[in-house]
Amino acid sequence: MNNAIEIKNLVKKYETSFKLGELTLNIPSGYIIGLIGENGAGKTTLIKSILNILHIDRGSIKIFDKDYKKEESLIKEDIGVVLDNSFFPEILLVKDIDSVMKSIYKQWDTELFYNYLNDFDIDKDKQIKALSEGMRKKLEIATALSHHPKLLILDEPTSGLDPVVRQDILNVFQKFVSDDKHTILLSTHITSDLEHIADKIVFIDEGQIILEDTRDNIMDNFGIIKCDEKTFKNIEPSDIVKFIKNKYDYEVLMKDMAKMKKKYANYIIDKITLENLMILMIKGENI
Amino acid sequence: MRGLIKKDLFIIKNNLRTLLIMFAIFAIILTNGNSNIGFIATFLSISIMMSTFSYDEYNKFDAFAVTLPNGRKNIVASKYLATILIIVISTLLMSILTILMGIVRNNLNIEEIISSGFGCLISVFIVQSIIYPIIFKFGIEKSRIGLFVGIFLVAGIFALISKLGIHLSDSTLSILNNYGLIIFSISSVVIMVLSYLVSKHIYLKKEF
Repeated sequence: MNNAIEIKNLVKKYETSFKLGELTLNIPSGYIIGLIGENGAGKTTLIKSILNILHIDRGSIKIFDKDYKKEESLIKEDIGVVLDNSFFPEILLVKDIDSVMKSIYKQWDTELFYNYLNDFDIDKDKQIKALSEGMRKKLEIATALSHHPKLLILDEPTSGLDPVVRQDILNVFQKFVSDDKHTILLSTHITSDLEHIADKIVFIDEGQIILEDTRDNIMDNFGIIKCDEKTFKNIEPSDIVKFIKNKYDYEVLMKDMAKMKKKYANYIIDKITLENLMILMIKGENI
Repeated sequence: MRGLIKKDLFIIKNNLRTLLIMFAIFAIILTNGNSNIGFIATFLSISIMMSTFSYDEYNKFDAFAVTLPNGRKNIVASKYLATILIIVISTLLMSILTILMGIVRNNLNIEEIISSGFGCLISVFIVQSIIYPIIFKFGIEKSRIGLFVGIFLVAGIFALISKLGIHLSDSTLSILNNYGLIIFSISSVVIMVLSYLVSKHIYLKKEF
């Protein structure tokens, strides 16, 4: 299996106490990888490091097996990017983007760009600032896709959008990876989006990867028991990954569901959602 | 790089109405007898280029630009080239306007227009060369003060030169009279190249 991105021993320090890494991560091509974690966990720092918007302090990043330091320009021909809050000056018209990008990317495809605009119902003669937030995001995505990139890197592409627009965008992403040659790395805190489309989940907290697995493994492997204090005390401590004590009940995170379901056959063990998992992993206590 | 220059030109095009109003106001001032076109073209081109930095910064374009092929290098080079383009265009426009008015008023002085045009080119080169590295380092919003410092510095230098000029020997004066334009032109180009190298160095290291 080829890797679209290979990150080795990456460390990025800030003047504040925040530090990303040291982390090692491979992103296989042909997959949709979801990056989750709370605000300030390091998602954007990781994405910006991968894009060389930030300069890393240690470690190495390879994209398509190319060294970033030597072949940056070549690599960037093949990457499409949607950043959180960073795009063309909004005084430009939508069609200006086509004209500018034509001179930037060797593979820029005007027809494809206008097809996306059509699909997304975006008026090419409007100024970017006249577009609604959802439209603007769609325009950014259309722009990121129109030079036939092999890798899409998206920072919070669906935040602030209504469910209908989000669904449209997720469909576009799924179509993009359908031929196995295309890869998407996206960060989001709308974890339910990832439950639909992500193949693999990377969970970051305080600058470290605390969980990295396929979505199916995570969804099958983890479970949650909501119970009262009496029941809670009957659970063997070694079976509790994390727990949260609420006012009236306990939420207990468990691993290895096949085994747990047999062991605690009398209890109702719910399937985990990524949101629950995130909350329990971050806020939950160890026993 | 061509793409990023286009982007700046589109910003200017889409902002044309404001610029035309500015141009009209200057033209009115001009018809009132003060025919210092150098000053007006200088001011116009500096404001135009500053506005492109402001629009970029408002939408945090830099981070996105870095993700484009050759982004870091091109964004610096394109700003310098766009500046040269804009200053040449606005100087030409102003010169044409002055020539037309000279014909109407019947006081056409081609020599003065040419030297004034060159003065404009040179002073914008120098002002921009001083402030661009500051903008690339700190961003446009924080650099406005730098702009004023830059203009005062240049004005100060010229004032100093003209004051010192009184004490210049006849031979130096004749050199300045004959070759002054060439000397100033060459040094302004050298300053701009140095400024470009400094800006590039700053920008390659910058994070967004």
